[in-house]
Amino acid sequence: MANGSSYTVQLYVYDLSKGLARQLSPMMLGKTVEGIWHTGIVAYGEEFFFGGGGVTSCYPGCTILGMPDSTVDLGNTEVPRDLFQEYLSSLGESTYRPEKYHLFEHNCNTFSAEVAQFLTGKKIPSYITDLPSEVLSTPFGQALRPLLDSITVTPSGNNGMNGYGQR
Amino acid sequence: MAENSGTDPAVETNTEENAAASATIIKVTVKTPKDKEEIAIAEDASVAQFKEEISKRFKAKQDQLVLIFAGKILKDGDTLGQHGIKDGLTVHLVIKTAQKTSGAGSSQTSASSGPGPSQGSPSGTDTPSPAGNLGTPQGSGPSPTPSQPANILAGFGDLSGLSNLGMGSANFMELQQQMQRQLMSNPEMLSQIMENPLVQSMMSNPDLMRQMIMANPQMQQLMERNPEISHMLNNPELMRQTMELARNPAMMQEMMRNQDRALSNLESIPGGYNALRRMYTDIQEPMFSAAREQFGNNPFSALGGNGENPGTQPSRTENREPLPNPWGPPDGTASTTSSGTPTTTSSTTSSTTPSVSNPLGISSSNLGNGMFNSPGMQSLMQQISENPQLMQNMISAPYMRTMMQSLAQNPDVASQVLMNNPLFAGNPQLQEQMRQQLPVFLQQMQNPEALSVMTNPRAMRALMQIQEGLQTLQTEAPGLMPGLGPGGMPGGIPVGMPGAPLPTGVTVTPENPPPSGQGSTPTPTAGASPAQQQLMQQMLQMFAGGSASTQTPEVRFQQQLEQLSAMGFINREANLQALIATGGDINAAIERLLGSQPS
Repeated sequence: MANGSSYTVQLYVYDLSKGLARQLSPMMLGKTVEGIWHTGIVAYGEEFFFGGGGVTSCYPGCTILGMPDSTVDLGNTEVPRDLFQEYLSSLGESTYRPEKYHLFEHNCNTFSAEVAQFLTGKKIPSYITDLPSEVLSTPFGQALRPLLDSITVTPSGNNGMNGYGQR
Repeated sequence: MAENSGTDPAVETNTEENAAASATIIKVTVKTPKDKEEIAIAEDASVAQFKEEISKRFKAKQDQLVLIFAGKILKDGDTLGQHGIKDGLTVHLVIKTAQKTSGAGSSQTSASSGPGPSQGSPSGTDTPSPAGNLGTPQGSGPSPTPSQPANILAGFGDLSGLSNLGMGSANFMELQQQMQRQLMSNPEMLSQIMENPLVQSMMSNPDLMRQMIMANPQMQQLMERNPEISHMLNNPELMRQTMELARNPAMMQEMMRNQDRALSNLESIPGGYNALRRMYTDIQEPMFSAAREQFGNNPFSALGGNGENPGTQPSRTENREPLPNPWGPPDGTASTTSSGTPTTTSSTTSSTTPSVSNPLGISSSNLGNGMFNSPGMQSLMQQISENPQLMQNMISAPYMRTMMQSLAQNPDVASQVLMNNPLFAGNPQLQEQMRQQLPVFLQQMQNPEALSVMTNPRAMRALMQIQEGLQTLQTEAPGLMPGLGPGGMPGGIPVGMPGAPLPTGVTVTPENPPPSGQGSTPTPTAGASPAQQQLMQQMLQMFAGGSASTQTPEVRFQQQLEQLSAMGFINREANLQALIATGGDINAAIERLLGSQPS
């Protein structure tokens, strides 16, 4: 398949708690949660993520979270950039609209997993996608659930692709 | 059974014949961004065949389909087996439009008309999108071209989102306002909207544009007053250009600059100046006020640091509104009294002490305290004194003059504009004062002398020194200015001309041998001795009405001088000085003279 173009795809993983989760989770949840993971997909020289502002992109590491705590190499994709752009726009107008954000069930990691699947066919590490269920399976998580339902995570980025037009 | 295993050549042919019934039909999930479907296809089918199936199911043309699996794009010539596509796996689909850049348009169409979200159609017709206030419309017009209702909505997925947010009411105005608010809070949105091809196609449809713009009530008002605007609207080329501009901020700035240059050229044409002025008052003013209402923009928001950007962006006229007048209130009242009755100054002041002293009392406390205390004001003053060029530019900019003229002639506008200043916002007293004194110092602004002094850095520095002196005095000798405490108007009066009276004060001071010690410290107080008050008033008048009353003190105090000389005070010079010091009060002057005589 010599299409000539091949783009690397990476997953940037951030720990939103900056280590606090690892320290405090045994106490609060009864089990150890290594981190509160936020992820973004990095491809074509940009970082894409889903937050309260919808599907957003900026240059890698641009959000206030800075550089990621770890990165996962997801391989390569042949999908050209403009096709990916269209795909993202569609996503941004349908299943990944800003108001669809849900901290547990439809969050940045959900988005990253889906985009990773699209681009490379691979899945993102399970410890990331399993996090919500891990937390919710504890009594504390259950108790916090109503509060957490209302939170969105929106690292400040730049361009929104949530249906207001193409970039 | 074994017959379908496909290992024997004999069986193989069987499987080929019975392809439809064999187990090599696999179910592949085809997933679009919006949707997914399961499609049954033969395992050894080619991608082209697969696409055929897909196009039937998704109701899209085959060449619009792009299949992606495991990061690879599936080409028509490949087979599914080549890519390892097996039963139960998911293949991604993106439905493209013919155009390169915009996929959203028709992919929406196919997505929405196909297994599409039903949200598209109903809300598409219900929620006409609002027209931007600045004449930049977005979204679907009231009656979009019939072939595109679903498109339009889907293209602006946010609209259906909006209706989900509870904006389902078809209230046009509400929608519009909310839309605008959103727009304003996210300026990028506007550029994104502009880039949407739907918007572009709409914008090239002049009728639609005109319709949308005219739907805005403020525009309607504007148009009633100025038929030229509606002519402008009817020119499609112009409209499109404007839209381009609105989209591209760099271009916009460029355009504005050109426009302003043109305007300044216009001014030099005889009669052009008037035209400019008229243009401003007729068109811009209501537009700006309309815009302000809508967006709560504050023309003075940059006033605190206004000095930085004088001549470069003349388009933003309001930002270069007259600089704050630190001497505003006292100047205003004082000059009215002084300009009103130059010859009978003393009698006026003495007779109207109660009424005059009050405003003056407050204002002098301002003088010493509030006005200069605003950090904005101070920085402004500093900037001014450091950079005379700034002032020069500001003042010489044609717009500025226009503005000032129009302000002078239309105090309502001026007061309105001033009142919007956040620095005033919480302070009704200040506003009142400003309102009263507006006409006066507006006129002073016109005074070229005032202007020239403002460009004089030394003058400005001197003013700052005075201000500092006053402040020090306040702190050091609060007793001297008892009225300052509660009366100290916070924030001063940062609007208005930058010390129009100040410059005149500066020019006056050389004229009048300064009433030295006492003169430099205006002592406000409601209950202070009349002599003090008169002194203060006198000084303020001098500061304020310098050019207005060109009479020398000698002339003014003619009467008093005669009286003094009749009493036996021969030394005319001393008399004059005493009179000046006491503001024309003979008794006080006599006391002074007597006090200083034994020397």
